[in-house]
Amino acid sequence: MNLFNIYLPVAGIEFNVLLLVLIGFCVGVLGGFFGVGGGWMVTPALNIFGFHMAFAIGTPLANIFGQSIGAVRKHHRMGNIDWKLGLISIVTSVIGLEIGSRVILALEKAGDVGTIVRWCYIFLLSALGVYMMYDFYSSRPRQLKSAQEESDKSRAAGLSRGNKFSDRLHSINIPPMISFPASGIEGVSLWIILLVFLITGFLSGFMGVGGGFIIMPVLIYLIGLPTTIAVGTSLVTVLFTAAYGCFTYAMKGRVEIMAAFVMLIGASMGAQIGATAVKFVKGYGIRLLFAIMIIFAGFSVVAEQIYKSTAKPIYQTLAGIILMGTAMSLVVIILVRLVLDSRRERRLRL
Amino acid sequence: MIFLAFCLFFVNASGNTCSANTVKKEHATFTQHIETTHLSGVDLWIAVMYNGNRVLYAVVVTLVMAVLGTTLAFFTDLVLKALGMEVSRLSHRE
Repeated sequence: MNLFNIYLPVAGIEFNVLLLVLIGFCVGVLGGFFGVGGGWMVTPALNIFGFHMAFAIGTPLANIFGQSIGAVRKHHRMGNIDWKLGLISIVTSVIGLEIGSRVILALEKAGDVGTIVRWCYIFLLSALGVYMMYDFYSSRPRQLKSAQEESDKSRAAGLSRGNKFSDRLHSINIPPMISFPASGIEGVSLWIILLVFLITGFLSGFMGVGGGFIIMPVLIYLIGLPTTIAVGTSLVTVLFTAAYGCFTYAMKGRVEIMAAFVMLIGASMGAQIGATAVKFVKGYGIRLLFAIMIIFAGFSVVAEQIYKSTAKPIYQTLAGIILMGTAMSLVVIILVRLVLDSRRERRLRL
Repeated sequence: MIFLAFCLFFVNASGNTCSANTVKKEHATFTQHIETTHLSGVDLWIAVMYNGNRVLYAVVVTLVMAVLGTTLAFFTDLVLKALGMEVSRLSHRE
């Protein structure tokens, strides 16, 4: 028996402890940094390394719940959470999620729905990723200009936000209007907010994902939140949905407690490090890394779709390599930025 | 380079794990009941709880995740503070 293998009594398999801690650490860093759960990465990783799919879906939810508690606390201390918006998003997203999952169940009765869902997934990830990349590069002149205008009014308020989509949505005047002072939003129609979260919830339910990777860009581009507040507020939604998912999947016997426990050791530390890194990486830097992450996640779904069509295992392995490789590369980039920028800050303080 | 290094690690690790799982294929199937005859200690306690009371199992899983998550986050925070990576309220710049 390998020295680092432990027996997982619920899943009934032996598994490498170091691998579990490593997977947990990666998902923790990405979760704390981007405000996502990371189930999209852990589920295929665990499945490829030998977990039954039933446990590969349920176990990450328990782990994400545990890691999100500390990360939410930290983002709260940094003022990155708009609690009012977060609570509205939770309630409305759950309704949308329920509608989405019922549509899936209805479609499943009609035939194989997996391919439709995967293509929707690919389209959504690619569209979001490409738009965020475009936004990053097209806004560079604006970033440089705004850096020179430190005395500008919006900067004096401590918030820098606004883009084409959110400005248009904010101009729709259908009462009741609601304000979100924590995010610097003075007035937006409540109906718009409800509709946006209903759609994101629907997409989460339809594609069977936690939704952090949809909510984070939606908060930035449709609601108009500054990136760091979008990260923190998205994490609140992730925390509550993962808590519910953890309990309900454990009730169905689909959580491997020992694996979740070991993964959480890495994930909790990772989430704190990821959340701390938000302090040092500028808003647009977070958006660029997020765009890279979801574009590669889209590639991995393409590989998975080819595997489903051709039944060649090499494509499944390729999907796993793309996912975990991207995750690990991003984690290294975030860690390097954290170390370098915190050193620079300390030097400036001295 | 990081990506390539990981690819090598991944192929190696997935190969090892998959071969181990081929031997234990009967264990990798999803069952609602755990065989307890070969278990002892904590593993036995978890298995008995899983088999006997699924609500209790769900409560224990949720509580363990919450307590461990909070505790580890607290200690990691202390280490990060000691390393000079303390956080405070941010000005939300883009």
